[in-house]
This record gives sequence, structure tokens and C-alpha cells, in this order.
Amino acid sequence: MNANLLAQSALSGLFSGGLYALLGLGLSLSWRFLRIINLSHFAMIFLAAYLTYQCTAIWKINPYLVPLFLIPLFFVVAALQQLAIIRFGIDEFGSIVATFGVTIVVEALLQLIWSADFLRLETDHLKGSMVLGSLLVPWADAFMFMCAVTTCVGAWGLLRFTYIGKALRANVENPAIASIFGVQSRRLSLLVAGSAGGLAAFGGVFIALLFALTPSQMYSWFGVIFATVIMGGLGSPLGVLVAGLLVGVSESFAMALVAPSWAPIVPFTLMVSLLTLRPGRI
Amino acid sequence: MLRLEGVEIAYGDAPALFDVSVHVDRGELVAIVGPNGAGKTTLVNAIARLLPFRKGSMHFQGTDVTKISPQAMGAHGIAVIPEGRRLFTQMTVEENLDMGCYRRNSRAFRDQSLAEVYALFPILRERRHQISGTMSGGQQQMVAIARALMSRPEVLLIDEPSLGLAPIMVSQVFEIIQKIHRGGMSILLIEQNVNKSLDVAERAYVLDCGRLIAEGAPSELRSRPEIAGAYLGHASP
Ligand SMILES: Nc1ncnc2c1ncn2[C@@H]1O[C@H](COP(=O)(O)OP(=O)(O)O)[C@@H](O)[C@H]1O
Ligand SMILES: [Mg+2]
Repeated sequence: MNANLLAQSALSGLFSGGLYALLGLGLSLSWRFLRIINLSHFAMIFLAAYLTYQCTAIWKINPYLVPLFLIPLFFVVAALQQLAIIRFGIDEFGSIVATFGVTIVVEALLQLIWSADFLRLETDHLKGSMVLGSLLVPWADAFMFMCAVTTCVGAWGLLRFTYIGKALRANVENPAIASIFGVQSRRLSLLVAGSAGGLAAFGGVFIALLFALTPSQMYSWFGVIFATVIMGGLGSPLGVLVAGLLVGVSESFAMALVAPSWAPIVPFTLMVSLLTLRPGRI
Repeated sequence: MLRLEGVEIAYGDAPALFDVSVHVDRGELVAIVGPNGAGKTTLVNAIARLLPFRKGSMHFQGTDVTKISPQAMGAHGIAVIPEGRRLFTQMTVEENLDMGCYRRNSRAFRDQSLAEVYALFPILRERRHQISGTMSGGQQQMVAIARALMSRPEVLLIDEPSLGLAPIMVSQVFEIIQKIHRGGMSILLIEQNVNKSLDVAERAYVLDCGRLIAEGAPSELRSRPEIAGAYLGHASP
């Protein structure tokens, strides 16, 4: 195995890892701050991916403009879903069932509208690769990676330094005391849910850009994203980023050094060993 | 300035407070003392509007606040130093203080309030980046007091500040409470430690089994044999 190939596989691992972090971030935030395990996050991601396809491939809208309206749209939809969750008093476990229901409905909808055939978005934007020394760096992946890192670091900064971020952390630890100091937990929960929805839309744009789409593909992301989110520590954007990169690179190495079929085992092996070494992180 | 009249509170069907009427005037330090399980914390949570009144009313500076939310009650100028501190333990000292001035109108005074509480508790300035849950009980109590002060309240509710503290810390905490009071703060001090509370209070109520059984100046309460015998830990003369 030569060093060049190893470097190339590390790079592609970093790129997948960035995507894992971007897709997992919303899940992690809503799990920690809303106590909602939102399986429909994956459905939202794929809905956004299909809408991106529709807008760019069919309606010929500039792909850079797509997130500008998809993110606010998904913010509103996710906030509405959260309102329903509050209204019906759905708890953490109930949320798995309810949001899985939403996922199935959305999958059926996607099949109905766009069929189960693979769709591939062809666009002139972010085509090709740049050459960095001996490495080949695809523009689309590099752009996605930059966005993923920026998003995670930005989310960390918001949670760490803003009053809203502090209020979220305070509220999750002691809502009654937080309320006396003026924290409006319902408003915050809509904000978190909406942001997670916006993140799903953002991730979906990149799914459309990087992968061929078929509705049932959404389920193939469950395992690796949940492993990333759990390893990263719930509600910790930097944790999710590091965990995503760790999973991505390990997977990539396993594929290069052992066999491609080993890749799916990697996230779980990592997760189980980490949870064994550092229990009580969730 | 704070006046409760005929208040009754229940947990489900189990009543915890019956016909409680208390008031705190501006600048007063009023104590409510009583044994464990008397309903003291219930009363604090009711005043903070975390528990609904089943009967009775509450007025604050002449406004009826019987039916408002905890957020609104806080906005009126009530701050709570809860039983067991209830810090945001995974956040730093300064982040806890920031939560104290979360409300917009107190946020505007953040720097000034910070300077004031750091002057009161210099150790907190040194420890401002420490995760609050890792501090000693006494220091956590200081954070809880400072956090409440950051909201620049009109009335301070203090629930069992001596709970779980070493005797030397207890004395320090009571000294701080007196100091804050001398600065003009109206304080409702809720305590099991009857002697220490009566030492600092200007007026006191005795609460037992959810009922107020006495009210008066500390010296007067101390001179009443049935009170002294039952609650002050020494036999009646
Ligand atoms: N959350 C609750 N649910 C049901 N009963 C409660 C609850 N909190 C307190 N109580 C009951 O109310 C009574 C008064 O409790 P509390 O106000 O905590 O007393 P104190 O603070 O004086 O020790 C006790 O009998 C207690 O068992
Ligand atoms: Mg109590």
C-alpha cells in the first residue's frame, strides 16, 4: 500500500466525516435540547435533496440559491412539527415512533413524486477536482467540507457564547429555575427544532450534489449518523465534528487497508469502544 | 410590597399549605422558619409562580400576580436562591451569572452587576471560568446568591441557604445576607435554622404542617414558651 493512496483515502474519509457531522448536528441538538430523537431528520434531509434536484435539474435554478429558500422553509416545517410534539405531549421514546411514522410517509411521498429510480443531479457548478500535490480534491466535496466545519464551529460558538446558547444549556439542566430568570423554553424549543430543520435542508442540498438519489437510501444513513451523534456527545457540535471525522477516516482506512465490506462495521466498533472507555457521556 | 393572602397549595389532592398569609414590606428582612416538611419550599415555589394557587391571592407592589407565569414573576423583580442552590452545574460560574441577567432589562446592567457581585464575592471572580458543579457547597451558595443578584431584584427569596454547609460557612452566608439587606434589599429568608434566622430577621413567621402558627418580632417569638419549646431547640422556661 503506498503512502499516496493512504493520503487520498484519508482525505476522502475526512470529506465523508464532514458530511456525517453536518447531517448529525441537527439530530444531536434536538436530542439534547428537546429530548426528541428525531428520525424524520433523515426524511427531511432527503426531501431537501429531492427538492434541490427538482429546483436545479428541472427548474434550472442556480444551486447556490436553493439553500437560501430551502433552509427557511425547513425551519418553519420543523418548528411546526415541534409544536405538534409539544401539543401531543410526546416524550423521548414516543418521539422515535412518531418521527419514524413521518419518515415512512415522506419516503412514500418521495417515491410517488420522483419514483424509486436513481436520480442524478447534473450541474456545471462545483464540477471536477483540483490537484493538490499528489492529491485529487473534488471541488464539491471540498466545498461541502468547508460548509460542514463552518456550521459545526458556528453552532459551537452560538451555544458557548450567546445568551440563547446559555439559556438552552441552562434550560435543559433545570427548566424551572431557568424560567424564573426569564427563559421561555417553548420559544427556545421551536428555535432548536427549526434550526435542526434548517440543518437538514442544508445537508440535503449536499446529498443531492454528491450522491445519486433514491428514497430508500435515507435508511442507509441511520447507522453511521447515530454512531457519530452518540460518540460526539449529545448537543456538542465540536464533538459531533470530531466524531464524524473519526468515523469517516476510520471507515476509509478500513476500506483501503482491509476490504470495502468492512466499512459499515467501523462506526459501531468505534462507538462501542468509546462508550466502554468513557461511559456516561450521553 | 409582597403580600400573600389566604394561600392554599396542593400537590394533586394532597394539600401542602393551608390559608397562608404573609407579607414583606420594602426593605424588610422577614424570616419564615419551620421544621423539615413544613411547606417552606412549597411556599417559595408558589411565590416564584412555579406552583399554582388553589386558593388565595398574591400581590406584588400593588399588582395582582396570582395567575402569572414564572417568567413574568421574575420580570416583576423576584429572584430566588433555591434550596440546594440549583446551579446550572455544567456551566461556568460566569455563565451562571449571565443567566441571572438573562432578561433584557437586567442584561443592560451586566457589567455593573458583575462588578458588584464580584466585590461581594471576590473568590467568584477568580473562579469565574470554573464549572460551577465542581465547586464546594459554600462556593456554590455564593454563586446562587450572586446569580440572583445579577437580575437586580426587588425582593430576594432565599430557601435554606444553610442547608448542607459547614458551620463556619453558615455564619458567613448569614453575614452576606445581612450585608445585602443593609444595602436596602427586601428579603424573605426561609430557614430550618431557627436561631440564626431569628438573629438576623426583623420579623418572622413560624410555619408547621402547612400552617402559619405564629408571627412577630424575633424577640417576641423567643419569649413565647410554646414557640421556644417546640422550635428553638430548648425547653420552655
Ligand atoms: N413535588 C412534590 N409532590 C408531592 N408532594 C410534595 C412535593 N414537594 C413537597 N411535597 C410535600 O409537601 C410538604 C412540604 O414540603 P416542602 O415544601 O418541601 O417542605 P420544607 O421545605 O419545609 O421542608 C411535604 O409533606 C412534602 O412531602
Ligand atoms: Mg425545603
